[in-house]
Amino acid sequence: MDESNIKDLWRSFDTRLEEMQLLNRQHAEDIAQIKVKSFLSSMKPLKIFTILVGIVWVGIGSVFIISLFIFSFGIVSKFFLISASLQLLITAIALVVYTYQLILIYQVDSSEPILETQAQLARLKSSTLWVTRILFLQLPLWTTFYLTEGMFKNGQIIFYLVQGIITFSFTYLACWLFFNIKYENKDKKWFRFIFEGSEWNPVIKSMGLLSQINEYRNDSNP
Amino acid sequence: MAFKPVTLMSTEEQKQSFQTLIEQNKGILFKVASMYCQDETDRQDLIQEIMIQIWRSFTKYNNQFKISTWVYRISLNVAISFYRKNENRKRNNISLNEDISQIPEDNKSEEEVQLNLLLHFISELKEIDKALMILYLEDKSYPEIADILGISVSNVGTKIGRIKQKLKQRFSQINT
Repeated sequence: MDESNIKDLWRSFDTRLEEMQLLNRQHAEDIAQIKVKSFLSSMKPLKIFTILVGIVWVGIGSVFIISLFIFSFGIVSKFFLISASLQLLITAIALVVYTYQLILIYQVDSSEPILETQAQLARLKSSTLWVTRILFLQLPLWTTFYLTEGMFKNGQIIFYLVQGIITFSFTYLACWLFFNIKYENKDKKWFRFIFEGSEWNPVIKSMGLLSQINEYRNDSNP
Repeated sequence: MAFKPVTLMSTEEQKQSFQTLIEQNKGILFKVASMYCQDETDRQDLIQEIMIQIWRSFTKYNNQFKISTWVYRISLNVAISFYRKNENRKRNNISLNEDISQIPEDNKSEEEVQLNLLLHFISELKEIDKALMILYLEDKSYPEIADILGISVSNVGTKIGRIKQKLKQRFSQINT
């Protein structure tokens, strides 16, 4: 099979496609009636739901914590106040990063050269892993919010030991995940366990596409 | 196709020009969609998505680009992103290869068999290699391919050479 044979075959594909091209003028007219879709209407319901739940969680939590700081600072456990505040802060940061990335993804210009657009999209999509990394940093806070000063004053050695092991393990795990959630580890079992599901597939695929793009660019600049 | 600047058009003129543009370039949309989606429903969805993106980008079009370059850029960008999103669905569908095997050999001409093989081999290529191959088979010049993909002209030549070699090998494996 030489070059001209391949091109001849491709031309015969035109004939086959002509039969499929039932695209009527009405279809194009319908599209032209569509106003440029708003950012919200073009998003999947799951993403909108995630953002809304995040906003409600951070909003209600912030009102609650701020009122505790103002009105009950003296009587509420400082462990709870600090743990809950940090938890809300981390969630708020993740929420802002997530929303900002989604806005950027939907603003990418499809009429730019393929490698430029796809690299931009792939970088943005793969950077959504950052949101997960940030959220995992909350782990140790779930082991400290219930503590009180009294527990430390009256605690026995077994309490210190168990609490210490739990908090240390969660802190270690959070830091480990924060530094190890990256594309290079995509084939590891633990990675696939965390990022299993159709929501994550485009993200993982995006990272694969970045390797293809880099390969093209490296060939361009030997 | 010559346009006056889209920003100077009335809404009605924009709609008319858009419809004409789609009519004149529907072959590009169908070919790109066929290469990135084997499933008919996905293909229709992709064509609609490409048309929506063309319409959304329509006011940004400027005459410095050939209209086909602009349409290819949008079509391929949307197709590559769509392909990524639909990877799961694709796995559940019959592949082109399996599809071919279900047609009795007697009913297929030699050309049809070879064309199906070509389409199958192209469908196996990575997303960007596939885009490059479509543009090459469509007889686009190297500078135009470079412009659509955003790589250098010499890189276009190198990459096309490698992919053609791969295709030839695949054909020779089948034919021996």
